[in-house]
Amino acid sequence: MSNELDDRLDAIFQAVRDFAQDRVAELVRHELALGTDAQTIINDALIAAMEEVGDEFAAGRLFVPEMLMAANAMKAGLEVLRPSLAGHAIRPVGTLVIGSVYRDMHDIGKNLVAMIMEGAGFAVVDLGINVLPDDFVAAVRAHRPDLVGLSALLTTTLPSMRQTVEALRRAGFNGGILVGGAPVNQAFASAIGATGYAPDAPAAVALARRLMQEGRAAPLG
Amino acid sequence: MSQSAEDAARARLSRRERLRGAPAGGGQAAAPSHAPADASPAVRPHFAFLSQDRLAVLRERAILLLAEHGVVVNHAAAVGRLKEAGARLEGKRLCFPPGLTEAALSALPNAVTLCGRSPAFDIPLPRPDNTFTMRTGTGAHGFIEAETGAYRKLVLGDVATIAAVANGLERVGIVAHPFVSGVPELTADIHGVAALIASTPKHVWLQPYGEENTEYLLRIAAAAAGGEAALRARPIVSCIVTSFTPLEFKSMDVEAIIQCGRLRVPIHACSLPSAGGTAPVTMPGVILMAAAEILSMAVMTHVLAPGTPFIATPLIFGLDLRTGRSLQASVEALQGTAIAVQLMKHGFGMITHTYGSGSDTPDVDGQSQAERALLGQIVGLAGADILGGVGQLECATVFSPVQAVLDDEYGAMLQHFLRTPAVDDETLAWQAMLAVKHGGNFLATPHTLWHCRANFEPLAFQRLGREAYEAAGRRTALERAREICRRLVDEHAASSLLDAASLREIDSIVKAADAQILKGQI
Repeated sequence: MSNELDDRLDAIFQAVRDFAQDRVAELVRHELALGTDAQTIINDALIAAMEEVGDEFAAGRLFVPEMLMAANAMKAGLEVLRPSLAGHAIRPVGTLVIGSVYRDMHDIGKNLVAMIMEGAGFAVVDLGINVLPDDFVAAVRAHRPDLVGLSALLTTTLPSMRQTVEALRRAGFNGGILVGGAPVNQAFASAIGATGYAPDAPAAVALARRLMQEGRAAPLG
Repeated sequence: MSQSAEDAARARLSRRERLRGAPAGGGQAAAPSHAPADASPAVRPHFAFLSQDRLAVLRERAILLLAEHGVVVNHAAAVGRLKEAGARLEGKRLCFPPGLTEAALSALPNAVTLCGRSPAFDIPLPRPDNTFTMRTGTGAHGFIEAETGAYRKLVLGDVATIAAVANGLERVGIVAHPFVSGVPELTADIHGVAALIASTPKHVWLQPYGEENTEYLLRIAAAAAGGEAALRARPIVSCIVTSFTPLEFKSMDVEAIIQCGRLRVPIHACSLPSAGGTAPVTMPGVILMAAAEILSMAVMTHVLAPGTPFIATPLIFGLDLRTGRSLQASVEALQGTAIAVQLMKHGFGMITHTYGSGSDTPDVDGQSQAERALLGQIVGLAGADILGGVGQLECATVFSPVQAVLDDEYGAMLQHFLRTPAVDDETLAWQAMLAVKHGGNFLATPHTLWHCRANFEPLAFQRLGREAYEAAGRRTALERAREICRRLVDEHAASSLLDAASLREIDSIVKAADAQILKGQI
């Protein structure tokens, strides 16, 4: 890679790190005009920047809104690149189906994790709130995710979380099931057969990335 | 302190402790061990973060937000009645014209009495002494053992322990049910209240976990009170009703307003906005959200359950924007809580309830004491009538009976702190002052004798010198609180305080609730 190209990719990388959405789009557009391959821009600038952002977020050095703004900056670059990919889909880090379990109407924690995971490069299918176990199963069959995320704010909805895990396993899903929410802890997660528990959003991202790296996340078996 | 003086002090403490706390089932008020002899009941000292101008802006914007943006009310019958009363439906949102909101505010009762099962435990609000009452933490699903400090799930048997401790804590006027494990989750509130109401003569707070549950909770309250008419005459329970922030109300909570109204059971109209999550990140925006939601509940109560006692209950949370975790005791949330109390109390003239205790730390540690001490002071000075959260930790998810004892001690200190002394010849000690001789002192004057027992005396907090402290095995306030907790449990761990017929009726209500609510669940 030439020094000039390297410098220009560094500038895109830095613009993502600066949450500069418009500047990222402008620099990516300029890079394309210079003939640089779209996949190079994605891998060496956009994804590379988000990996660093993800690490800093997991380490507690970046705040939630900063992580989300960086993700938006990366997406602005991807939007510019989309026509140039000529039908080649941008491959996500993994796919996550997520929802608040049946009877739970709360979505702030679930939304936060969904946004953060999207920012970390996952394709996210958000089923919303009050999701029946059968609807999780249907979504797993339709989207074949690597991971499923279950959220509960209320202690009263913990049985729904257990039932959802059971339904997913009965349906043959042997990928990672991540659980979280105020009344959830590691002991409960282990007791219901979830793959992992995350106490907060950075931990959810770190856990998801670890499961992907370890190959413990797997689609419908 | 000499050994004999220390012994005397210990003996005095022991006597005071024996006097402390209401005898289980006796219906007698606890001895006022902290009551100063010359407390002035005049006016509570007041600290305000906001000027009157800024308070007026918040007041005006809250009413405007309801008029221009409105709220979603997921209860068809209630929407119909609110429209008849003048609300305007725009899409899914009901907008309340300022006139309707102001009419609701004018109609709110400006005094409420939360009754105990014995009149000795009645809590008139505002308090005649211009201070406050306290409420135990609610909704905790974790429990910290008093003796070992070990954490575990909270189970039904712990309700009696919580009640026993609360029964003996003088500042605690309202006892709340925690979330109990080991019973069906969907009816855990019903099991918890059935156990609690049989274990305390004090006022009980209800927190329904589902729409069908409210009816059963109120039936239990009626059974304990001696029937619906008796409950209506003397509300021995009150019920939390909450918004679904931002600016939405679940059918369950609207239904609770209607059902509480039928029995005149007081409502704690609660908004729990979270800065940066369900509400704007800046605290004035959070308070505006809380105010608009509480005003919405005032309008709904005015229209759907007129005359029902109404208590504004803003519970302000921050969001840790590094992790997304909710915080009740971030410095911003503490300030926001005090401002919300100021707005509700002095901007809208409502009886006001908020957290006066609580911490984000998981344990009874130094952080816990610092955060709750600051919180109690600022909301006490802001004018709150009820200070909730006694014993709660880890953002209201854990209950510690030892922390509850310490909170009662803070409460006693705070009540003392809030009593403004008169300034007159008596408190100036004018005659003693004129009579003091060169090189003299005031130790043995009649004036000092008269007032010498008026100062606050701690029960758990220590005032020992080093030698006495070492001799006592370096016991800190925490160990003292643990001893007090142990004694309260021993003294107040009574068998049921209800008669056999009431207990049978409550048992049958719980069984009916299980049969009905658990029927057909997935």
